[in-house]
Amino acid sequence: MAEQHRADVIVSCLHGRCPDLIPALQEEIERRGLTTEVEVVESGCRGLCAMGPVILLQPEGIFYTNVQPADVPELVEETLIKGRAVPRLTYKEPLTHKDVCYYEDIPFYNKQMRHVMHKCGMINPESIAEYIALDGYQALAKALTEMSPEEIIAEVKKSGLRGRGGAGFATGRKWESTRQAEGDVRYVVANGDEGDPGAFMNRSLMEGDPHAIIEGMVIGAYAIGAHEGFIYVRDEYPLAVRNLNMAIEQAREYGLLGEDILGTGFDFDIRIVRGAGAFVCGESSALMQSVEGKVGEPRPKHYHATERGLWDKPTALNNVETWANIPLIINNGADWFASVGTERSKGTKTFCLVGQIANTGLIEVPMGITLREIVYDIGGGIPGNGDFKAVQTGGPSGGCIPADQLDLPVDYDSLIEAGSMMGSGGMIVMDNHTCMVDIARYFLDFLKEESCGKCTPCREGIRRMLEILTRITQGEGEMADLDTLEALARTVQNASLCGLGKSAPNPVLSTLHYFRDEYVAHIEEKKCPAGVCKALIEYYIIAENCTGCGLCRRKCPQQAISGEKKEPHVIDLELCIKCGICHDVCKFDAVGVR
Amino acid sequence: MPKLKSVEELRNLRAQVQKDLTARTETTTTITVGMGTCGISAGAREVMQAVLQELNAREIKAHVTTVGCIGMCSKEPLLDIQQGDEPRITYGNVTPKMVPRIIEEHVIHGRVVDDWVVGRIAMGQEE
Amino acid sequence: MATLIIDGQKVHAEEEQTVLEVARANGIEIPTLCHHPLMEPHGACRLCTVEVIRRGWSSLQTSCTYPAWDGLEIKTNSPAVREARQVILGLLLSRCPGVPLLQDLAQEYGVTEPPFPTDDPEQKCILCGLCVRVCHELVKADVLNFSQRGIERQVGPPFLEKTRQCIGCGACTIVCPTGAIEIVLEQAAIYQEKPLGPTSAIYVPSLQAVPRVPVIDTDACIRFRQNDRTEGEIADACGACQMLCEAGAVDFTQQDEVIELNVGTVIVATGFEMWDPAKLSQYAYGQSPNIITGLEFERLSNSGGITGGEILTADGKKPERVAVIHCVGSRDHNAHEYCSRICCMYSLKQAHLVRDKTGAKVYEFYMDMRTFGKGYEEFYERVQKEEGITMVRGRGASVEVLPDGKLRVKGEDADLGELVHVDVDMVVLSSAIEAPHDAERIGALFGLSRSADGFFAEAHPKLRPVETNTDGVFLAGCAQGPKDVPDAVGHAGASASMALALLNKGEVTISPTTAKVITERCVGCGDCVPVCPYTAIALVEGKSEVNPVLCKGCGTCAATCPAGAIQALHFTDEQIVAQIEGVLAWV
Repeated sequence: MAEQHRADVIVSCLHGRCPDLIPALQEEIERRGLTTEVEVVESGCRGLCAMGPVILLQPEGIFYTNVQPADVPELVEETLIKGRAVPRLTYKEPLTHKDVCYYEDIPFYNKQMRHVMHKCGMINPESIAEYIALDGYQALAKALTEMSPEEIIAEVKKSGLRGRGGAGFATGRKWESTRQAEGDVRYVVANGDEGDPGAFMNRSLMEGDPHAIIEGMVIGAYAIGAHEGFIYVRDEYPLAVRNLNMAIEQAREYGLLGEDILGTGFDFDIRIVRGAGAFVCGESSALMQSVEGKVGEPRPKHYHATERGLWDKPTALNNVETWANIPLIINNGADWFASVGTERSKGTKTFCLVGQIANTGLIEVPMGITLREIVYDIGGGIPGNGDFKAVQTGGPSGGCIPADQLDLPVDYDSLIEAGSMMGSGGMIVMDNHTCMVDIARYFLDFLKEESCGKCTPCREGIRRMLEILTRITQGEGEMADLDTLEALARTVQNASLCGLGKSAPNPVLSTLHYFRDEYVAHIEEKKCPAGVCKALIEYYIIAENCTGCGLCRRKCPQQAISGEKKEPHVIDLELCIKCGICHDVCKFDAVGVR
Repeated sequence: MPKLKSVEELRNLRAQVQKDLTARTETTTTITVGMGTCGISAGAREVMQAVLQELNAREIKAHVTTVGCIGMCSKEPLLDIQQGDEPRITYGNVTPKMVPRIIEEHVIHGRVVDDWVVGRIAMGQEE
Repeated sequence: MATLIIDGQKVHAEEEQTVLEVARANGIEIPTLCHHPLMEPHGACRLCTVEVIRRGWSSLQTSCTYPAWDGLEIKTNSPAVREARQVILGLLLSRCPGVPLLQDLAQEYGVTEPPFPTDDPEQKCILCGLCVRVCHELVKADVLNFSQRGIERQVGPPFLEKTRQCIGCGACTIVCPTGAIEIVLEQAAIYQEKPLGPTSAIYVPSLQAVPRVPVIDTDACIRFRQNDRTEGEIADACGACQMLCEAGAVDFTQQDEVIELNVGTVIVATGFEMWDPAKLSQYAYGQSPNIITGLEFERLSNSGGITGGEILTADGKKPERVAVIHCVGSRDHNAHEYCSRICCMYSLKQAHLVRDKTGAKVYEFYMDMRTFGKGYEEFYERVQKEEGITMVRGRGASVEVLPDGKLRVKGEDADLGELVHVDVDMVVLSSAIEAPHDAERIGALFGLSRSADGFFAEAHPKLRPVETNTDGVFLAGCAQGPKDVPDAVGHAGASASMALALLNKGEVTISPTTAKVITERCVGCGDCVPVCPYTAIALVEGKSEVNPVLCKGCGTCAATCPAGAIQALHFTDEQIVAQIEGVLAWV
């Protein structure tokens, strides 16, 4: 019983990656005769995945990260016996090992430039008062009373703001053509249908600072002459829907939405439309179909939405992040906004940094920052013993950018030139344990599920490319497959109906371009260099490392491992299903992959 | 809340709420829990409940509020404590078990629990 | 008006036209699968992809959706276009390897074999969405739509279940380019009941029709059916014929009109109706599509009919043996006792046609052969002797549908004095002709009487065969009784000249012997009106009034009148009494 003990040592065992920590602790505690005083408790993942294994000593609450078995004697000696913390084990910033201090001094933050997100995580999103206290709706007041619609559009144009949804169309020009388009009814729409795996920028923004989006939309509506707006949010974001709804209610209550906004005579209101989980509904024409209550499928858009959008009326459709930039531009001026960024990409952009990276999270960086800064400075580099291999940007239909392009400035045009795209801001970091063929296969598998199936190239082409990639990862590929892949990719890219199809081949084309050797290795040598593709690898015991502890033998679900105690074990390849558990559990690096 | 009828009213309201918020933070402690989806999925709701429970049990008057994602998703749940003009301290990977110690040491005794701090934000330096 | 260049050719485009429309209008062919001129462009199959060069930028676009903007340059057959089409056709052919249309198109682009493995060799649907669009845009039934997404996408009714929303119009099967939709009818559809009738809801009744214009069958037309079904809520369904008619001649608002004419004479030429052989169950009419009436045989063998004039059984094969049964419903105490007169000869003609077109063996079951016309007997001789038609004297007693679909005709061969039967592929029933079902109404309208057979009675069977008892009303053709074509023509000619003679004269001679109403005595009881065989009396303002032109002075009204208010002129009671007295004076 825990109450009988003087102290608890709570170990989060990080997916069993360090299974010998607990035995080591127990052994040391026993050796020191503390068994009756101290109990070792195993707990689940604490979420500080990058920092594990972590140990929490209660009741002192001392928190150690990255504890290795070798640290155990010192830990027990210092903390449990002498009651002192071991400074080198307490939480450290990964690379510099400097004790943390102010946010702006944390590398994760100091290269960031939090403009759009500056209220996120700082204010209570449920409280319009907190938003107003931080100068919220001042931009709206300024726009409605001091600026004409034309002046607003001119300011946005001058700022150089481009669409944050990925395509990077100039926002000011979009607004201008919407305003000039024929018709008496116009709409503004915010796209919050973020569907890329691993991306959650829009979600965080909608949850954390919903008023910024609303304020941007009211200003935009005033500028183009719209009186009705829609925010399209995927229903998988219940908190975003809730916070947005709450914010809209409050804004109405405060007279910041609805009729006669701030007594200026301008009427505008917003409705939330919830998407039902189709990835393709993030595509503008499919999104508008969905808002109209039709099946969310793209339609040919030779006419821009600014001319024939929602219900064939002129429509300004922007990503929620684009809308949230508007109050900043109005408040601080176009010059302030344009002072950040590159020649053709202005301002800041949010990204979701995920994958094989020390600091995963949501970041906002000035346009033009290099990938290297993002990966190594903000992201803290690759954890463990991996080497950086590539970063995938632009969501599932983006491309992979290899190590030699790490100094690529992150802006719309450079990314496209590198065979990828900005997308809405997903950024997946991959290390040398990632197989690029398998990655291409993974993304195509996602896209195969998400293709709406309307047009032939996308529906049939993606599926056929996936078949070929699957064959290659299973070691059944032929060199001719690469030509077929390229021909298919070209047609799917050129002849598909919507953006989903047109960009679907990007994962294939960019990996084929930068990592063709991996494809060739799979096909000609029947080898997966990253050791990922199950059909092409085999696990083996490295005899000189094996201590014969028997852990792998016990964990193997197929009983494929045999060996005497304290003698090197062997794997029976006939029985092995390549699950990799032995590799993961071995503490002595004695299970190899080849 | 009556509707704002003019820009003047909006500006007055801003001054008012700024004063209210300052008054609140001057007199009491503000405890902020990151309650974006990333926070909630990492356990922020449980942390929030632990905070409220602990404050209740110890009869401490503090202002508890929620915010959205601040970006350090890998260290969620995040819990911020701010007292007076002191910097706003962010604790990361907070679990309900850690809450009593944080309240005890930081809120009551004014000692920052260095082990669990991931960063601090100086007042007025929000970026 | 926009000007653009397609394949180096300068062409002009109207407002809102697409590149595809302009190209086709200028004779430039672009392959399509999901396009239909009557429906909204869909842009799904991507086969009509062309290279569009706009403001110096070249891109592949679908011509069916791309607006024909001014200044565009279009290449419909560049290498990039051909590559895209080749890949697309390869993908489609791999999906549906068994569709001839795709095989042919793929062949054109050098794809001879499906380049990828096929999931379902039976798959025919290419998801072009034409059926979905026709059901939504034209039929407005919204029965079909897509479900699932990606490769799982499929077309079907809601939940892929039978739905009452489907009106069974078959529009989807017509627009489907690959034959992937089949309609399974649970109840006989409009045209299944009359398999030899028209095949669509708008048709030219016959090639010989005058005027030769199409008519719309409002029972089958999608527009009228939807309108009726929804009680006017969907009033603008389909209209495909109207949209396609360049002359703008289709008018759905046309109504039946009643035209009133003042005429001097009337010729009643209301013809005959076919008697329904289903009324006599032994002929099994309706139990097999290969048991048909003589009129249906005419439709079948007509070059404007559904088989283009070929004589085929319902499964599309040439019959090997055909039986013709005479006197079905004629000369029969259970049906009509009269002889329909025309059947013997048309049956022989049809036997001749069957021999001529199919070479099948023909059996004619007859009671008596009535070949009274000029050259008829010779024809009868010819088909027997030269064409080898088997004549079986004796009425065909019954027809039985055998399990294998063959038809067994039983009868008595009176010449041999024994019962016979023959198994055939097709039976033609020479069914009777009868007076139209509404002859009675017509008769009442013109004051015509009918003979026992139901046809209109002529004024005198020998001397006045075209006149009726109503002056100025004549009979022509089968209205008077069964006639073959030359007889009908002769009869009608006589009728026409009688009518003309009357018209030419410009006046009618009437007998002075007419009835006269003594108005003071008439109480307006109206008893006289129905008894007048010439419809010469009417009640006018409460008093009877005699039309002296129509009145024949028969005196029925005078005898009927309870008040003694009607007198037959020249035959008043006093005059008759005086005559009687005069006669008696001699005694």
